[in-house]
Amino acid sequence: MLKARDIMTTSVVTISGSATVAEAVKLMKDKGLRALVVDRRSDSDPYGIVSETDIVYKVAAFGHDPKKMRVYEIMTKPCVVVNPDLGIEYVARLFANTRIRRAPVIEGKLLGIISISDILNKGDFVEKPKQLYLEDRIEAAREDARSICAEKGATSPECAAAWDVVEELQALAADRRQAKEDTRDVSNSLKDYCAENPDALECRIYDD
Amino acid sequence: MMRAEEIMTKDVVSISGSATIAEAVKLMKDKGLRALIVDRRSDSDPYGIVTETDIVYKVAAFGHDPKKMRVYEIMTKPCVVVNPDLGVEYVARLFANTRIRRAPVVKGELLGVISISDILNKSDFVEKPKSAFELYCEENPDALEARIYED
Repeated sequence: MLKARDIMTTSVVTISGSATVAEAVKLMKDKGLRALVVDRRSDSDPYGIVSETDIVYKVAAFGHDPKKMRVYEIMTKPCVVVNPDLGIEYVARLFANTRIRRAPVIEGKLLGIISISDILNKGDFVEKPKQLYLEDRIEAAREDARSICAEKGATSPECAAAWDVVEELQALAADRRQAKEDTRDVSNSLKDYCAENPDALECRIYDD
Repeated sequence: MMRAEEIMTKDVVSISGSATIAEAVKLMKDKGLRALIVDRRSDSDPYGIVTETDIVYKVAAFGHDPKKMRVYEIMTKPCVVVNPDLGVEYVARLFANTRIRRAPVVKGELLGVISISDILNKSDFVEKPKSAFELYCEENPDALEARIYED
């Protein structure tokens, strides 16, 4: 799986939160960038970001004077940051869930910035689409089965085979859920109790 | 005031709604575009648009196969369109209010596409910011509020 660090843009430009919006616009035009990362004031300060969308939506749209407004008035801080080892499918999912289009890539320090354009232009999701979650694969298999059955007939062997795939995936999902429950703390406390008090009523095991 | 026509991007590439996402991605990569206009099926059909955001949010994020999905499944249609004579400040306001970043420029036919990047890079909002009041006065020079007193 390609990772964020493989496709991120490493030339990042930062700006001070107290710079004017006019300075930010000039910097973005000069460097051909759509966003700037806002400098941290200290190591415990979160990262911020200011994008062309912020400038157009919050300054240009209201005719405010960019020479009189400051970056801190329109920036997003703290902003969502991405770990360089995150798979790009997860970056895409994160962006979709949070409705953002770019985020700084951070590990200890600022390494780069990753955007939906990077995913589109440098990602391999067209050549190698990856389903992240079993639930997604079940849904896809179910859709496949429906269309195959509609095409080949509900009693065709192709239709039966397609639903078998769905069933296998569902069984796998059930197994994983069970495995997760077995290792969960909640059930462990009961197990611990029963290990110490095997004769307690709660610990009886029924054999069929 | 600068108008949409003056800053829009005139190279527009359109795609059929029945094309696959893989075809759309290839076209966007080849032409270096962030959005494609979806062909109208007839003169009464509305314009549609498909953007890189649509593709990443709705296809890549779910690991769907772009070769099996089609543009019409993820496009925005009908989409907001802009008149070429609309002032750039109003385009910015329209974009902010509708939370969009680009729109086709249409008058009778498709003339171009205007985006927030065009507004940032080609408009004069930094040199000449205009408040709503100034915009009003510019459009209605005879209004009482727009009177200019000379000392």
